[in-house]
Amino acid sequence: MSDSRIEGYARGLFEIARAEGTIDEVEDELFRFARSYESSDELRNALSDEQIPASKRQAIVEDLLGGKVTPTTTQLISMVVGSGRSRDLPAIVDKLVARASTAKNLEVAEVRTAVPLTPDQETRLAAALANATGKQVNLKVVVDPSVLGGLVATVGDTVIDGTVRTRIEQLKSRL
Amino acid sequence: MNVAAFLATAAGGEHDITQTPSKFWPEGYELLFGIPASVLVFFLLWKFAGPAVKKGMAARTAKIQAELDAGEAARVDADAEAAQIRTAKGDIAGERARLLAEADTQAAAVLEDGRARLTQELAELDTRAAADIVAAAGRSGDELRAEIARLSSAAVDHVVTGSLDEATHQALIESFIAGVGASK
Repeated sequence: MSDSRIEGYARGLFEIARAEGTIDEVEDELFRFARSYESSDELRNALSDEQIPASKRQAIVEDLLGGKVTPTTTQLISMVVGSGRSRDLPAIVDKLVARASTAKNLEVAEVRTAVPLTPDQETRLAAALANATGKQVNLKVVVDPSVLGGLVATVGDTVIDGTVRTRIEQLKSRL
Repeated sequence: MNVAAFLATAAGGEHDITQTPSKFWPEGYELLFGIPASVLVFFLLWKFAGPAVKKGMAARTAKIQAELDAGEAARVDADAEAAQIRTAKGDIAGERARLLAEADTQAAAVLEDGRARLTQELAELDTRAAADIVAAAGRSGDELRAEIARLSSAAVDHVVTGSLDEATHQALIESFIAGVGASK
């Protein structure tokens, strides 16, 4: 899908969520779902399989998210899946998150961690990233066991990598 | 004359006509007839047999001379042949010496050529061996390093993932937050 179309979807979803007054929750839920979609082959295959009718794919989304996220989030994802744009869901969500952050005058800070962060750690990390980048950040935490340990934070074009995986890769490279 | 008659004569008895008066000369009449007869016989022999004998002797002389000449010719031939053989022998010796010298020269050239070729081949082999050794050492070193890296990587993965407990995770997170907060 072209960037303009992705941007169009992102703008549409953003406006719907803002109109609903749940932009913060929806944005966060969409972001988490997009990361889960990226990391799960099974989910990706199920939602992007053209052989499966759209209604069935939407039913999968509702079964998966129903009661766990806000209804707006479920409806927005269901809409994207029903329109056959499942493959572009992560890109659409990223645009939406960026747009929401811009609207709040924030910079998206994607943080990948091997284990979940406590709220206190998230708060301190957001403050530390703001201090390091000079920007207020919209922290998005992704639990990614592949980093093994530590954190990697991406703020705009800046990447701060403190993961065990990267250190092991560096050590392997030196070996 | 028998012994008895001789003894009788010596004793001064009658001359025995059956006996000669001299131990060396015949009777006188025998000399009278005998000498001319002998002369005649010798003359006849000289007259009629002499030429034949002379001719025979001349023929024999000629034959002997021919044989001598033939012998001389044979000797000359033999000398000539000996000289030829000696010459040939000398030629053979010279040829042999020439061949030997030529063979020596060729052998020396072959030896020198072979030595030079062997030296060159040895140098090439030495160079190639040195290059092979360096390559093998490099290869072995690379393989060893790769193997060490592989084993080390596996060991690092195993050790690190095995040692990442909850406390370590929290320590890493806190360390990251502290490090990012301290940087600007």
